[in-house]
Amino acid sequence: MSEPLSKIPSGMRYYFGQEARLRRTIEETAMTVFDGWSYEEITTPTVDYYSLFEHGMGRAEAHRAFRFTDTDGRLLALRPDVTSATARAAATLFAERERPLRLCYAAPVFRQQPQSHAEWRRESTQIGCEFIGANTNLSDLEVLAIASEFLQRLDLGGNYSITLNNVEIFNGVAERLALDPSSREEMRHLIDVRNAADLERFLKPYASAEDRRAFAQLMQLSGKRETLDWARRVISNARSSSALDCLEGLWTVIESLDLTTSFEIDLGDVSRLDYYTGLTFKVYVNGAGARVGSGGRYDGLTASFGKAEPAVGFVLDLDALIDVLLARAKDLPGTRTPPRKAPELADSDPSALFLKAVERRAQGERVLIKSGEV
Amino acid sequence: MPELTIAVAKGRLQAEALALLAGAGVAVPSDALSSRRLAVEDESGRYRFIFVKPADVPVYVEHGIADCGIVGRDILLESEADLLQPLTLAIGRCSIVVAALTGVSLSDAGMLRVATKYPRIAAAHFGARGRPVEIIELSGSVELAPLLGLADCIVDLVETGRTLRENGLNVIEVINESTGRLVVNRASYQLKAEAIGSLIGALDLAAAKEFES
Repeated sequence: MSEPLSKIPSGMRYYFGQEARLRRTIEETAMTVFDGWSYEEITTPTVDYYSLFEHGMGRAEAHRAFRFTDTDGRLLALRPDVTSATARAAATLFAERERPLRLCYAAPVFRQQPQSHAEWRRESTQIGCEFIGANTNLSDLEVLAIASEFLQRLDLGGNYSITLNNVEIFNGVAERLALDPSSREEMRHLIDVRNAADLERFLKPYASAEDRRAFAQLMQLSGKRETLDWARRVISNARSSSALDCLEGLWTVIESLDLTTSFEIDLGDVSRLDYYTGLTFKVYVNGAGARVGSGGRYDGLTASFGKAEPAVGFVLDLDALIDVLLARAKDLPGTRTPPRKAPELADSDPSALFLKAVERRAQGERVLIKSGEV
Repeated sequence: MPELTIAVAKGRLQAEALALLAGAGVAVPSDALSSRRLAVEDESGRYRFIFVKPADVPVYVEHGIADCGIVGRDILLESEADLLQPLTLAIGRCSIVVAALTGVSLSDAGMLRVATKYPRIAAAHFGARGRPVEIIELSGSVELAPLLGLADCIVDLVETGRTLRENGLNVIEVINESTGRLVVNRASYQLKAEAIGSLIGALDLAAAKEFES
């Protein structure tokens, strides 16, 4: 039996009408913001070597990619992210360029296996930026300011939150407790799913009842500056403390920018610790069931392409943002932009007709040629 | 407009979950429960409850349609959903076990046929032991499979063990213990932090009280 031609592969879709216009607008907004912060656009190859993504994303993440073979037998992939190829370009193509590099992109990425059950899409558009070649609080602040400005410019009514953490806080605690890899992963998992009771039980051999409780609660709750003060009372090792200093430095600037309502400190955000090396952040938007973006510092990334240098960046999922914005447009009366319709042009003489049309186009007007009868 | 939507697994866990919630000061009107409505609000109007099949609880919560859910750990292990699990609740206690007909030895078989409602848990369990298995997925009355020769053993949930005994089956191995869990959507956890925090606090307190009494 043959497949009906109407069928399209699962996780793929069409974009049209209001949604397509909105996508274009949001991409343009993002590019305007990036340009305003002096970021240069980069487009990476849609098809690239699979090994690139194994280096750039780690084996588990790269494994989600669509894979196929080149004519010479080498394994190719449809890009599952843009960051990997950007990091490679920084280390090779742009190796001689002056640092820091400021790069941005808006491009579709493809995943054969979605990241979670709630994510059915296999093609989605990533909007992101990379700041490569400087390891200071200033570069961390710069990408946070960019993410914040972009979200402010969307019609989200302030319904979003950017949570901040630094992976070195967890790493410092794990080092202090001298955990072997499997117990380290167990502690990370318990923190990640916010299971305070089991975390307390897990810590029994390592700390007093009072310290266990304080640490478990600290990892469960997010908050503002008080979270940092609290963390300092519970965590005292040098590695974690210097990470807390970094976060506090960021928070002080966030306070002076009067942005504390859209930022949170969330010490329990411990996903992808193997990838990030310092600041991490996640973007949550009311109405989207999953996070719509994430970012952080990955100083280890470009080293795999032969030039070790610090890097920080973020990526936002355009499709998740569009879902929220469309739902909001439905809720808010009068915000739906009706499709513009131009008056129809007709003339029995095709030359006259198109002369008229071209003139109007030259004025920047929208035209619609009446078709059917010539 | 309710602050939070909570998905509760229908069946086994539902009565215990509602009793625990009542202890936490979240009372669902009894007339609403006795009706056949699948979405009801509590008396304060702060919470909306939806009653769905256990396996659907992680689906609703992962998509953020429900902010939280109450569901057994067995379902979470099987669904592999990406959810927060801030509280282990002392309700719906049971075990996930391997069981076979009395007197049957599983170690002789080169290839085990396993009947189960939990294909992922079963595959992971035997996979970790390097046992080749054929998983036969059933949706109910799994105990029948070994009796009729469909499978060599079953992987199933056991509460009291009575059904197993009455069908001549013995527990061979306990794979996991399961109790009810409070699960929370990752985005809701950040964006509705206050409402979820107060629910977690109240449930934790109620669970502790129940434990003492």
